[in-house]
Amino acid sequence: MMDARRWERVQALFHTVVELGPEQRTQALQRECAGDPALMTEVLRMLEADARSAGLLDAGLPQIADQMLPATPMGRRNISPWEIRHILGEGGMGTVFFAVRPDLGTSAAIKVLRDSWLSPARRERFAHEQYNLAQLDHPNIARLLDASTLEDGTPYFVMEYVEGLHLDEYCDVHGCGMRERLRLFRSVCEAVQFAHGRAIIHRDLKPSNVLVTSNASVKLLDFGVAKRLDEFGLVSDLTRTGLRMLTPAFAAPEQLRGEPAAMGADVYSLGVILYRLLTGRLPFDDLRRDLDLAALSLNRDVVRPSLVARRVQQKGNARVRGISRASWNDLDVICLKAMHNDAGQRYASAEALRRDIDHYLAGEPLEARPDTHWYRTRKFVRRHRIVVAATGLSLLAASVLIVLFMTRLSAERNAAIAEVARTQRIQHFMQNLFDGGDPDAGPSHDLRVAALLDKGVQEAAALDKDPDIQAELYQNLGNIYRKLGDLSRAEMLFNTALRKRRQLSGDSSAAIAETTAMLALLRVDQAKLDEAERLAREAVAISRGALPPEHPTIAIATEGLGRVLEEKGKYADSIPVLEEAVRLRSSPRTSGSDLAGALYELANAYFYAGKYKDAEAINHRVLKINREIYGAQHPRVAEVLVNLGAIQQDTGNYPEAEKYQREALGITRTFFGETHYRTAAGFTLVARSLVYQKKFDEAAPLLRDAIAVQERVFGRVHPRVASAVNELGTVALQKGDPEGAKKQFRRMLEIYKVVYPEGHYLIGTATSNLGSAFMASHDNVEAEKLFRRAIAVFARTLSVDHLNTAIARVKLGRTLLRQRRFAEAEAESSAGYNILRKQMNPSVTWLNSARADLVEIYGALGQTEKQSAIRLQLAQASNR
Amino acid sequence: MDQESVAGSLKKSRDVHDVDRAELDQVFSLAYEELKSLAAAVRRSHPSAPLSPTTMVNEAWLKLARTPAVAHTSPLHFRRIAACAMRQVLVSEARRRHALKRGQLTGLSISLEEGVADRTLWDDQVLALDEALVELSRLNARQAQMVESRFFGGLEMREIADLLDVSEATLLRDWRAARAWLAGRLSGAE
Repeated sequence: MMDARRWERVQALFHTVVELGPEQRTQALQRECAGDPALMTEVLRMLEADARSAGLLDAGLPQIADQMLPATPMGRRNISPWEIRHILGEGGMGTVFFAVRPDLGTSAAIKVLRDSWLSPARRERFAHEQYNLAQLDHPNIARLLDASTLEDGTPYFVMEYVEGLHLDEYCDVHGCGMRERLRLFRSVCEAVQFAHGRAIIHRDLKPSNVLVTSNASVKLLDFGVAKRLDEFGLVSDLTRTGLRMLTPAFAAPEQLRGEPAAMGADVYSLGVILYRLLTGRLPFDDLRRDLDLAALSLNRDVVRPSLVARRVQQKGNARVRGISRASWNDLDVICLKAMHNDAGQRYASAEALRRDIDHYLAGEPLEARPDTHWYRTRKFVRRHRIVVAATGLSLLAASVLIVLFMTRLSAERNAAIAEVARTQRIQHFMQNLFDGGDPDAGPSHDLRVAALLDKGVQEAAALDKDPDIQAELYQNLGNIYRKLGDLSRAEMLFNTALRKRRQLSGDSSAAIAETTAMLALLRVDQAKLDEAERLAREAVAISRGALPPEHPTIAIATEGLGRVLEEKGKYADSIPVLEEAVRLRSSPRTSGSDLAGALYELANAYFYAGKYKDAEAINHRVLKINREIYGAQHPRVAEVLVNLGAIQQDTGNYPEAEKYQREALGITRTFFGETHYRTAAGFTLVARSLVYQKKFDEAAPLLRDAIAVQERVFGRVHPRVASAVNELGTVALQKGDPEGAKKQFRRMLEIYKVVYPEGHYLIGTATSNLGSAFMASHDNVEAEKLFRRAIAVFARTLSVDHLNTAIARVKLGRTLLRQRRFAEAEAESSAGYNILRKQMNPSVTWLNSARADLVEIYGALGQTEKQSAIRLQLAQASNR
Repeated sequence: MDQESVAGSLKKSRDVHDVDRAELDQVFSLAYEELKSLAAAVRRSHPSAPLSPTTMVNEAWLKLARTPAVAHTSPLHFRRIAACAMRQVLVSEARRRHALKRGQLTGLSISLEEGVADRTLWDDQVLALDEALVELSRLNARQAQMVESRFFGGLEMREIADLLDVSEATLLRDWRAARAWLAGRLSGAE
């Protein structure tokens, strides 16, 4: 058997003899191969091969590849267990076949992609992920049954087979009138909305993907296909296959620009479908396949559908007869709003579009109309979405806020208040605006927001004839200010609300309990924790005293108290309170989301108390509830996954932590998009789990992505950027790249110096980390300076016996040790060590590194007794 | 050649040790998929035009260079990975046709390609070469890489010398021995 050494020998001999003449060659071979006939055979075989053509190797690859690569012809073949019967259609993406399963007697449509292959490595994942494929169980959506690859790596999808006509064909064949068309269209919107609620975007909506069956019901095809293709990079990149797969006439401008599609892209496509249904034409008939993208995505002005329809009508099209001028105007508004070039100006959701279709069908004013009540309200909410979303207000409270502004707008306050009664509609409306609403998305001190709120307070003040509503508004506005961080303003409003409510109903009403509970949470924000606890207990007492046992306000107040105790670090006390809150929220009348909210807090308390098993069990419960309520692909689900990941991280199961964080990231990414700060936070969490697994090379690019996103969202100088930069620095440090680490920590420090007042503890953290980088590059003098500076900051702003102070002193001790200044080192290391020991949850890593340093220091100082004492502790610690 | 050895063998060469494995697999997958797409595209538009692997590899680079996964990869390194991908494209094509011929692919209703027999020669040779290269990489990984880069990726000796950090003279010597040895193995498969 040949091995590497033998091969060396064979080659050496081959080179020795290959240039020799025949006689010398024979002599040499006989001499060298004496007693080793196998060697002789091997070399002779090579010499022979060397002298003639080497077949394939000399033929040259072009000739070979040329013969081998005329790729697979698309023959008719079977895809086990399916039997292909005939072609249903061919499109830009591939070919669709009709197939049957003889064993089950069922049929399906199989879409085989054209010119796409997955490498063997990725095939298995593609096939296996069908289990993760969010199944869309909706009567108007054709199911995706399977996805896999042919033996040559061509991806295919198996879908429910639907017999029917394309939406536009159906309408033309059956001579549908306008109302019938709109009724079909609203079903399409409903189905799209259903999928969006599960964070699945279609990305290629067009009439040929909407079938209408003989009993006039709608079925959407291909939902989930684009998502899968995108995950495997088969469409996302415009320069590769993406363009071929889009249907340009129906694609949103941002899709044509190659940006990742969000839900707004589907709304746009719905608009084009509507346009087509209304007019029989496409808005951009001139679109060719090889379009000029740049020109296209700019300046696309759409001719109003009514004009086109009239033009077509003159040519004998009966579709649009009998529709009034005013009705046409409404249809124009709906269509053009859905097709707005700016995604932010479109309908916020397919649901909102569907609602306006319904309004039209019911003869009601449109929400999109520029001259209605609704329009103004909407506009207010749109413009100030940040605030409204930021407050996390209950929907009812939010609609009260809207009413307030309607009051200002219309001066018909009574009518407006009556509108509150019709909350269902409002709630519906608000819900859609809040879906995916996001408390941290914008700068909290946006001037316009502040101005608006100030106005709100004035408006509220003018409502003094209605103190009840006024108090409610004060409370809500207070909440907004609280979330925006203007705590003193919030406090003032809460107190005013409280005073009004006392005047109205004495000291012990449900309303007072509620405001008191909110004031308690405000005190938490103000770090006045004792006061917070007192108020929270008061709120619980009032609500229990004044209200029947199952009243929801008792639950609110109890949960508030639980949270206050949690904030105070009294986890043991907060757990029973939160258990009680959970019990109160468990009544059948409480919504699942309220129960989930209480459980979520309870899980956190267990987590902080270090009871990971309980925290984990409860989080799994929350996960189940949230999946049921929101669907599997919702940020609420992601939040819980993040917490489950944190539990695994804290208990040292880093690969498990990574799994949870990756799953959470997947959801967040789909829901919020690639360039959202939440996605960035997700990157960071995954990266952290990788860092602990020492997978630095995987972690670093994630962190860089996170930083890039955060820079875009928050600007280059922002604490969030600094925090991710810190992680990157830590990775560099652990990888043994102190210079890289210095660069990152310096940047972190610069940012903190700009955004925080002098002496902020984070400035200390950055300084200390920079010190670590210097220590790693053996510049102990500089490191010492930095550690001393950091300790000064910590001692002043945190406390002399804070964990951070302790760690910095241990680090300082080590630099002194490295400088062989043993006595000084001893002072720092043992001071740090003693602080660490007193911590509730001392960091074992730091304890042990302090111990190790002290062993060395006492050794150098010749204090053998102390040395052996510490050594003993070290040994005990490692045995534990 | 399985995926393990793709990343494994590539990782050994000097210039890639800092490229992380996932990234490497990603680049490999992209190269593989792109090469197949290119072959199909060329075939469709110019059925009789020759398919040059070197051109295809260069085209693949032009298309992929701007994608995030490939952005960290140097052109030379990409061609090295593409060579590996090309090898696998050809090998799996040969295997597939082998299986076709022997009726091992189940569920086939109509047999497809004309001239399957004509290509058998190269199919067998490609498979034999692949096997011999696996053996060679066990004996001397550098030599196997050189053959792969030169034969499947059309890299110049000068470029391979850069990649593997050896002199061109050494490579030429290596090539002669490897060629002779491989040719010996291939002759059995003809």
